Order: sequence, then structure tokens, then C-alpha cells
Amino acid sequence: MAKQAPGVRIDGLTVVYKTPAGELPAVRDVSLELKPGTITGIVGESGSGKSTMALSLLNAVQPPGRIQHGSVEIDGLGDVAKFRGEELRKARGRHIGYVFQAAQNSLNPLKTVGKQLLDLGRSHGVEDLRALVREAKDLLGRMGLDGARVLDSHQHELSGGMRQRVGIMLALVLNAHLVVLDEPTTALDMITQSNILKIVREVHAERGLTTLVITHDIGVVAEVADRLAVMYGGRLVEQGPTREVLADPQHPYTRGLIRAIPRLVGDINEAQALPGRPPTLATVPKEGCVFRERCPLRMDVCDTVDPAAQAYGERIVACHAVDSAVKVPSREGEHA
Amino acid sequence: MTVIARRLAGHLARGIVMILVVATISFFIVNNIPGDPVAARYEKLLEGGMSPEAALQATKVMYGFLPSGSMWDQYLAYMGGLFRFDLGISITRPGQPVTDVLAEAAKWTVLPVLIGTLLSFLVGVIFGVYAAIKRTSKLGDTLAISGSLLHGIPQYILAMLLVVIFSTLIPLLPPDSPVDILFEPGWNSGYLGSLAQHAVLPVATYALSAYGGWILAMKSSVVTVLGDDFILAAELRGMKRSIVFRYIARNAILPLFTILALSLGLLLGGAVFIEKIFNYPGLGLLLIDSINLRDYPLMGGAFLLITASVIVANIVADLFYTVIDPRVRGGEEAS
Repeated sequence: MAKQAPGVRIDGLTVVYKTPAGELPAVRDVSLELKPGTITGIVGESGSGKSTMALSLLNAVQPPGRIQHGSVEIDGLGDVAKFRGEELRKARGRHIGYVFQAAQNSLNPLKTVGKQLLDLGRSHGVEDLRALVREAKDLLGRMGLDGARVLDSHQHELSGGMRQRVGIMLALVLNAHLVVLDEPTTALDMITQSNILKIVREVHAERGLTTLVITHDIGVVAEVADRLAVMYGGRLVEQGPTREVLADPQHPYTRGLIRAIPRLVGDINEAQALPGRPPTLATVPKEGCVFRERCPLRMDVCDTVDPAAQAYGERIVACHAVDSAVKVPSREGEHA
Repeated sequence: MTVIARRLAGHLARGIVMILVVATISFFIVNNIPGDPVAARYEKLLEGGMSPEAALQATKVMYGFLPSGSMWDQYLAYMGGLFRFDLGISITRPGQPVTDVLAEAAKWTVLPVLIGTLLSFLVGVIFGVYAAIKRTSKLGDTLAISGSLLHGIPQYILAMLLVVIFSTLIPLLPPDSPVDILFEPGWNSGYLGSLAQHAVLPVATYALSAYGGWILAMKSSVVTVLGDDFILAAELRGMKRSIVFRYIARNAILPLFTILALSLGLLLGGAVFIEKIFNYPGLGLLLIDSINLRDYPLMGGAFLLITASVIVANIVADLFYTVIDPRVRGGEEAS
């Protein structure tokens, strides 16, 4: 099984949520490849569909949502979008680790971390529970915690940063090599944030993982990710190597996003907020480009035709203005 | 363990103070209710032509005591007796100590109510979990509706309904009195069997009328826990269904223990209707009778017993939480 960094290919993924107005897409026709051994960052505002995307990797989109189209191929596992029941449960935890946002209480408040670790081991048929505990202590120690003490603690006895490290430990302790971190540093103070990011980077390298980091903080991605994907209104609008994308953003949304970051040096007014607000599930346009309402480069074609993702070397951008030839892409061709 | 011991000591001290305060209040209230059966008896004997001494003597013989001295002296005597578990002598049952009367009545209340409450708790909690998990299906709906329905029917109507169905229409079960008088009281199968048979309808009434509350409370508690992050987290870590189920149930049941403790505390006084309908000589009936007949010592004793049981139930609940909820264990002593 996948005991080395697996590659992941998300292809044509569409996730819809059932609402009184019918099924509306939160993620629409997203294709993304996670290369083995890389850290990919997905950046987007609240409601851009990035968390839904993260849950799709474990086929764990919560009702009333469901994966409508597309596949999530993971090396050594197959298309998890087709997994059901026990097969799916066994893939979670053992092959795919998921780390929750630090502010979320991802631990049972009534049980010690150690007991929950044992529950996890038993759930996955681990025979040598002692070895599992040893592994957990090693991991916690690796992250600068006193393993024995933490395993003997309840959630309310741990700080936010400690909980987050426990979350990372639980995601890795079964030797999963694909790890999804959903807002791993949100709600943590700056020092703890940078500690956690350092840990993520180091553990990623040491254990040979394929890592996906979901965040709204472009700084987090800049610090850890090899590749960066930008989400807007359920669409992936731009992706590419982190350095390239940050240095030379192509999509007008990526540009706006980077321009909106205040710098430590220089005039605070250099940071310019992106005008307007992101679309919600109900206000995402049904046709045309999802970003056109806020776009400085809006053209006529943007109102009617959804720009297809076009590869420019390592960079993939979905924008009519970038695709200066403004050829009308065929929807069929995109899936082929 | 020391935390629990410290808590227990604190609770006991507070509990005793509360009981003393309640005893004081009930003593003064009870003694200021208009109408005095001893005085009335004495007056009646006087009217009958007896000499005052003879009348006094006769009353004394009949009631075993005479209220004498100031209210303060009586209060001190009463409180003094309290420490020896002596609550005085019943007026309407001459010669019988209140404690004996209460103990006799408690026998007929505690067991049926306890069994009924625990049964309804068990069934209600289990069904509540299903009603919550299957809340979008027919089964869940049916369970929830059964809860609302039974919760809405007044206890005495439910009792009479059961009597009509199971004693009148289908004569399966005896409708009243706790036991057939044919049998010799004791540990023989005939007597115990008769006890059990007679207890079925009252216990069923308790259980059915309480069940609705449990299922509704458990359902809403489970729905809340289902929305908690750690349940999704457990699923995303690939925890077995049975383990996730245990996480849900254990977290959801916590708030229900408070309600259970409170209802167990109230069980000693809260069964008047059922005792009346099924003719069980329990504490509820005893309390009503003692009020009607102005039996002050009995009244005071019954009030005190109910108060004490509520206080004890609260202490037990709190200690229980200390054991089952680690967040309470670490917390500082409530003051």
C-alpha cells in the first residue's frame, strides 16, 4: 500500500450542496495534481470552497453536500470519490491524515488523548498498541511536547498550539503519507503559528509525505508550500510553483490578493483591498467567469463563457484576459 | 480521590445546613397553619362534660404527647429530636412515630418510582439516540412523535387509560392495591409474585409518562453533539462506527444525568396521582392525607424527607459528574 509519498490527481471535481434553491456547486470542475512528496497550498477567502475541496480528498463532504462529478485518484488507493463504507473508513486515518483547524475541538472532551489514540489504533486493527503509543510519544516529542504527559491529558488541559500538535500526531501516527491540513494555524498566535509551520515542514520532509495545506493566509502558503493553488467562487483560478505565482501573479484575482497584503516595510497604503466581496453559494454566477464582478480586466466574453484552465508552462490559469487570444474554449475539450 | 473527598465534605456541610434551614421553615409554617386537632379533641372532650384534668389526660393518652410550652421551646425540642432522627409522634395515627409511618409509606413509593424512572431513562435514552441519528427517516420521526405524545398526556389520564385497557377491557392485571391480602407477607413466591403483578401498571404509568421527556431531551442532546467538531474529526480519522457511537452517546448523556438526579430526588413526593389511582399507600398519599388531617408532625416529616432526598440527589449528581466528566474534576470547588 501507499507507504511512500503518494501522488494525487483530482480531476473535474464538482461538489454540490442541496439548498432550497436546488443543488448549488461549492466546488466546480476543479482539476489539481498533488505531486508525490510536495506541499501544495490552496488559498482562498471564506466560502471559496477550499474546505469542501479538502474534505473531498477523504470523500467526507458532509450532507447536504455531495460529490457530483469527478474523481480523486490517490496512488496505491484508487479513486476515493467512489469509496464507500468500510473501505472508505479504513482509508481515512491510515492512508490519509486530516488535521483540523486549531480552534476546532477535534478531540473527545471526555477521554484522554492516550485513550483516543488507543481507540484509533483499535479502529484500524493495530495489533501492537504499545508500539503505537511509542510512535505517538516519539511524534509528540519530535514536535517539542512531553509525550507521556500529553497522552495523559484531556483536551481542556492543552493549549491551542498543543492541541494542534496532537492533531498532527493523530493524523500521522498510523503512518499516513497523504496529509490534509485545514487552516492549521488559524486562531493561533504568531509564535505558535510559525512553530506549527516549521513542524509541518520538517515532518513533511522527514516522513516523506504529500501534503495539502488549506488556508486563507497567503503568508502561510508562502512559508511552506511548493505549489500554490488559488480558489475563488468554487473554481481554481490559478496554480503554479509558489515562488512564481507570488512573484508574477497572472490571474487578476491572485494579483488583487497579493496586493492586499500589508507589508512590514513601506507605506501601509500600498496595501490595497480588493473591491467588492466574494460570491456565496447562492450568488456564484451560473455562466461566465466567477470573478468578473470584481475584475479590472473584465471583457464581454467574461459574462457568457467560463474561462477554461490553460497551462502556460508550469502555470495553469483560468482567465480570458490572460489567454489573450480569447479563443472560446470548448467545454468538452476540457474534460477529455 | 482527594478532590472527590473535599467536594463531598463541602457538599455534606452545605446539605446539612440546608436541611436545618428547611426544617426550621417547615416547623414554623406547619405550626402556624390554622386548625389544631389536639386542641380540637380537647375542646370536644370538654364539651362532652369531662373535667379539664380528665380531658387533658384522655388527650394525652390518645396522642402520646401534648404540645406544651412556647413555640421556641417546641422548636428546640423538635430540632433536638431531629438529630436523633426523632420526628415526633403522628397525631392521626396515635402512638406511631412519624419516622415509622414515613418508612412504611416510602416502601410503597420508592421501589415502583425508582424502577419506573430508571426504566424510562434507559429506554428513552436509547430511543433518543436513534431518534436523533435517524431523524430524517420514518423511524426517527415515529420515535420523536411517540415521545411528544406521551410527554403531553397527563400522568393521571395515562394511569386511567392503562387501567381501562389492561384491567377492564382485557382483565390481565389488577387495577389497585399493592398486593393481594391472601398472601402472607414475606419472602415467599406467592407474596412477591402478587407484589410484582400489582406493580406492573403503576410502574408502567411512571415509565411511560417519563419516557417522553427522556427521549426528547436525549434526542436534542445527541443532535447537538453530532454537530460537534470532534465527531467529524473521529470519522475523518477512520474511527469505527461503534467507537464514534460511544463518543456521541457518552457526551450526549451528560446533561441528562442532572435531570435524572433531580427527578430521582423528587420521586419521594411526586407520585400523588398514581398512588391515588392505584391505591398505593405511598408517600404522596401520606402527604396529602397529613395535610387534610392537620397532622403537623407527619406533614413536617414528609416535607423534610422530600427536601433531604432532593439535596442528597444533588450531592450524588455532583459527585457523579466529578467521576464522569474530567472537565468538572479539574475545576475548582464550587462555592
